[in-house]
Amino acid sequence: MKKLFLSVFASVTALTAVAGGHDAFWKSAGQPYKGVTLQGVTENTPPGQFVSEVLAKDFEKLTGIKVRLETTSWDQMYDKAIKDMEANTGIYDFVYIEQDIIYSYLDRDFLVNISEGLAANPKLKAPNVDFADFTTFIDYFKNGEGDVFGVPMEAFIKVYLYRKDLFENTEAKAAFRARYGYGLEPAKTFGQYRDNAEFFTKFCADQGMDCWGTTVQGHTGHPASTYELLETIFPSFGVYNWGINMDNYQASVENGGQLNGGRAKAALRFWTGLLDFAPPEALQSTWSEVGASFAAGRAAQGWVYGENAAWIATDAERSRVVGNVGVSLPPTAEGVMMQAASGNGYIGYFDGGAFGIPHSSKNKEATMLWLQYLGQNEVQADWAIAGGRITHKATYSDPKVVAVDAKADAYFTLMRDTGYLFAGAPPYPFHGAGRAAIDPFIFKALAGELTPEEALDQAAAAVDELMKELGYAK
Amino acid sequence: MITIIPIYWMFVVSTRSPVELFGRPDFSPTFFEKIYWKNFTKPFVDGVYAEYLWNSIIVASCNAILVTVLAIMATYALSRWKLAASENIFFWTMTNRMAPPAAFLLPLFLLFSIVFRYDDVSLFDTKLGLILLYCVFNLPFAIWLLKGIFDGIPRELDEAVLIDGGNYFTIIFRIIIPQAAPGIAITALLSWIFAWNEYLLAATLTSVYARTIPTGLAEFVTTTGTNWGAMAAVGFVSMLPALVFISLVQRHIVSGLTFGAVKG
Amino acid sequence: MVGSKRIPWYLLSPTIVILLIVGLLPFIYVLIVSFYNWNPLGKSDEMTFIAGDNFRKLVFDEDFLLSVWRSIKYAFTTLFFEFIIGFLLALSLRESFPFRPFFRIVHTLPLVVAPIVVGSIFKLFTVSGFGPLPHFLKEWFGYSFNYGRDAEQAFWMIVFMDIWHWTPFVTLTLLAGLSALPKDPYESAKMDGANGIQIFFHITLPMMIPVLLVVVFIRLMDSLKAVDEIWMLTSGGPGVETRLAGIHIWRSVFESRFYGYGSAMSIFLLYITIVICWLLYVVMTSKQNESNA
Repeated sequence: MKKLFLSVFASVTALTAVAGGHDAFWKSAGQPYKGVTLQGVTENTPPGQFVSEVLAKDFEKLTGIKVRLETTSWDQMYDKAIKDMEANTGIYDFVYIEQDIIYSYLDRDFLVNISEGLAANPKLKAPNVDFADFTTFIDYFKNGEGDVFGVPMEAFIKVYLYRKDLFENTEAKAAFRARYGYGLEPAKTFGQYRDNAEFFTKFCADQGMDCWGTTVQGHTGHPASTYELLETIFPSFGVYNWGINMDNYQASVENGGQLNGGRAKAALRFWTGLLDFAPPEALQSTWSEVGASFAAGRAAQGWVYGENAAWIATDAERSRVVGNVGVSLPPTAEGVMMQAASGNGYIGYFDGGAFGIPHSSKNKEATMLWLQYLGQNEVQADWAIAGGRITHKATYSDPKVVAVDAKADAYFTLMRDTGYLFAGAPPYPFHGAGRAAIDPFIFKALAGELTPEEALDQAAAAVDELMKELGYAK
Repeated sequence: MITIIPIYWMFVVSTRSPVELFGRPDFSPTFFEKIYWKNFTKPFVDGVYAEYLWNSIIVASCNAILVTVLAIMATYALSRWKLAASENIFFWTMTNRMAPPAAFLLPLFLLFSIVFRYDDVSLFDTKLGLILLYCVFNLPFAIWLLKGIFDGIPRELDEAVLIDGGNYFTIIFRIIIPQAAPGIAITALLSWIFAWNEYLLAATLTSVYARTIPTGLAEFVTTTGTNWGAMAAVGFVSMLPALVFISLVQRHIVSGLTFGAVKG
Repeated sequence: MVGSKRIPWYLLSPTIVILLIVGLLPFIYVLIVSFYNWNPLGKSDEMTFIAGDNFRKLVFDEDFLLSVWRSIKYAFTTLFFEFIIGFLLALSLRESFPFRPFFRIVHTLPLVVAPIVVGSIFKLFTVSGFGPLPHFLKEWFGYSFNYGRDAEQAFWMIVFMDIWHWTPFVTLTLLAGLSALPKDPYESAKMDGANGIQIFFHITLPMMIPVLLVVVFIRLMDSLKAVDEIWMLTSGGPGVETRLAGIHIWRSVFESRFYGYGSAMSIFLLYITIVICWLLYVVMTSKQNESNA
């Protein structure tokens, strides 16, 4: 009842409150913790920078609580947070939790139950923050009872980007129809995707343009390529949860998994086949180079992480294709869209992260205040524009966000309306180790050292072996 | 020439905006026409890189001084006395440098954050911690390099000082240091450089207060794009203090060389 | 020096204390962990004592042994080139020629660039597509360069990067050694009418052995455990072709969090490094003794 009241209250205030309308609460609630310094760790991305450069400063002004944010590289971020929590050193008061690692953290009981903490300390509960205001993305950070362990700070979907100027080019349209016998349009099926890729590679070459048919996140030594396969290509071919059987954690077909099944092999063959139509840097591209290649106008279409979609479409300082970016759902195999709509599958990757509080933190209460500060509706719009991320339902309709949305070919709208078709990483506590076991075989398949079939057979065997070693196999 | 090309490339990269970097391969000196200043101003003026740079200078310099002093003492001892264990100590110091870092980071982390901790103060995320830590790979190097040089200094000189009534410190200051000056200068220089460039240990053992330039450079690699331009710019600027240091030390090396110059 | 047995220990003590703390303590920890099965993200995060099982597993672990082999290959290849180029540079830098001070400074420039930047700059320089190197190789020589696919190219590229970065170190260290050589043998050799090459092989080289050892050892050790630059450039790709031992251990410890097994691999690598260095040490010092005799 109290919760219901609060949420009604919160949504009313969210509508009426102007920014800073709750200054009084933050001032009084922060009073006991004045002078405390909170330390956190996150990746050095635009949303993270916005937190440390804008939000942390505002929060300090209001409450007198200092927030020092360590911004670091992606692999360091994990390692440092885990070391701190394992050793119980208490260096960090809050850590960035990427969606895919949350299960490992919950499994090890690293994190403070924020819902419980707030219920036990009503004085800390901010009147204008309600977890019900968040998008469904917050569900990834809840345990079985619905208690929240992490306050979402960013969320994206991995979408299909295409070059409107190329797809609408009349010459290209005519040439495409003449060659393939049907109309040129953004891909809905893999056949179309391949044809588009092949067509534009040749079309661009003929026109003397430096562009190719598709991006491929195909770095032959970096986990980014494994992620593109497992989280984007596989599900859109109908292979879910990395092809690992959720009941016994086995991957090979003979043990009940899917990783070396027919669909998975078809997916990998399709994907490595795209390398013929990708710019030469594809084999050295992680997520960062894929975004840069697309922004440089070097690809006609491709799967691109949502955090890059907004800047590619709008930031002329970093992108040559401003105004020409089309955003759409990724292509899928037959039946996959239906499965996803009915909740039995997904078509791509819903990615993002939250801030959580390690048990080892010595300033849990002040940190809860800080995380709630980040969870206010009022701070979301500017944050969304700075970082291309949305975690609150109300943010979609904010006028500032709507204006950016229009320039980014309705990426935000797409995320709002079709977000439910996407899913985060499967709930594996062995996330990192599992992926690392698959890595070498994907790298070899991309480099052409193994055929896709061999690669997946060996990868599946390696995963099965690993699960025995870790004690998960049943 | 080969030395210069990558440096030149780094400079070119540091002057270009992200849009200009990804496109046609372009090796021309575009910086005559236009420099994209944001690569420099964003990290140094708006950002914390000036602070990182300062931390790096302190850590590298203090470490180089500490290492050089300790190494002169230790090497002198190893070079002049036949201790029962001297051969073993000598080799053991070396093994400290061989350890592959990955597995050793966890114990070092525990050591810094838990073992050496008094109340709220620990070695973790302090410059002092890094200064001490870098001894682990610099001391072995310095001792080994100096050993060969000290061994070459005739012992008769030592004994002459002792006969004149000097003690061991007089020997070190009057004989060893002047005789081995170029070698000591190079030792200090290289120790400084090793400390200056170290990344893995610093990345794990610092957080916000003692971050060094290499850890800051790694921050440019993110999932939403690597900021090559700014990275090159910071890399370029961070060469400058090193250059100053080198030219200071270089003078000693040069004078030492001409002093003992022989045709080889 | 009689009656001064204590003094060397006073002089040594600070060094030994520091190295005990930051060197030996972590080593003992790693050694202990290497006898346990420990993965904090496993089904059970307990450490279980398994005696030598990690080491038993390791000698049959093809992936790891291959990575060690790659490391050794890498270390000796780079050492070979760096040594020759570095020695030539060191000798020529002693001669005076126009712009020598300028060249002295310039040749040390690569050393002061942080490895992580070296890796990035090389990546941007050599990445197919928009890097200048593959572009001009193609344009001028018709040579297609893509280290994302070609293992040979990737290997030689990391070798080249290492040579570029670390040759100045060899040069500087050798200069230090050259500067400390006594004059007398040279003068007597000249009186005997020896030519430059004879002097080099019979006097300079033997007398330089202690310093040569330092260079060889330091470079071997550092490249056997190399991580940063290669991580930035190839991350171990294509496939696992440039996954050196350091990177292999890094991945097992940081991505898969096999602390126990990772520790065992580290100990093994450490052991191999010590053996290689010890063999070299014995060989080179015995030669020195021969030539002195």
